[in-house]
Amino acid sequence: MAKKAKSRTIAVRLISMAMTGFFRTEVRPRASRPLSYRKYDPVVRKQVLFLEQKRGK
Amino acid sequence: MAAPAEAQKYIQLAKKLPKQLLSFFKQFPPNTPRPTTAASNAPESPHANNPFLAASPLTNPTYNPFLPWRNPVTGKWRPPMVSLRRQAELCKLARGHGVEELLPFSKKQSFVRDAVKEEGLKVRGTGVGQRVKGKAWERTLKGRLEKRRQAMLGMEKMVEQWEQRGHGRGWKKWPK
Repeated sequence: MAKKAKSRTIAVRLISMAMTGFFRTEVRPRASRPLSYRKYDPVVRKQVLFLEQKRGK
Repeated sequence: MAAPAEAQKYIQLAKKLPKQLLSFFKQFPPNTPRPTTAASNAPESPHANNPFLAASPLTNPTYNPFLPWRNPVTGKWRPPMVSLRRQAELCKLARGHGVEELLPFSKKQSFVRDAVKEEGLKVRGTGVGQRVKGKAWERTLKGRLEKRRQAMLGMEKMVEQWEQRGHGRGWKKWPK
């Protein structure tokens, strides 16, 4: 049987670099480069860097 | 022959006791040292050479009917002769007549119950040489806060670097 086709987009998790455990989820095209942005982290109450978590196999 | 005055006093007292207590004291006379733990409840029978007598706890004068008993012949345990419910009834009756200390050791006696209650009210880990264990989040809180503090100290530099590398275009170290 043929394998199911992979979806074009994926849901990714962006982790707060303040090491608070806070994260945001986004949807991006599978082929695009990883996401990163500056956003508010409510735990430290500041804008911090959010980087996309590496995806496992 | 008339009994001494002291004895008369006790006889008068005994006459006032309810039937249940009297019959209990008749079978298990007070002022006999009786064990306070099940393990020491008459382990050695005075009739060791007679298995028929040794197999009954009642042949042992130090038997405590409020505790389990181990048959020295077969090694099997027997529950207390007086059930916990009846122990409680007897202790309550004896307390009412002020003769509770004449009963053998029972966990239904007021001093034992008070001690257990006291023990239960204690906060675990507050004794001498003990530590309160705490929840996992409480035990790891200090370390996590320190990690967060260090991360925030380096945040400005990290953001600067990130902006220099084209807002993530050249970023290599993605978190796991």
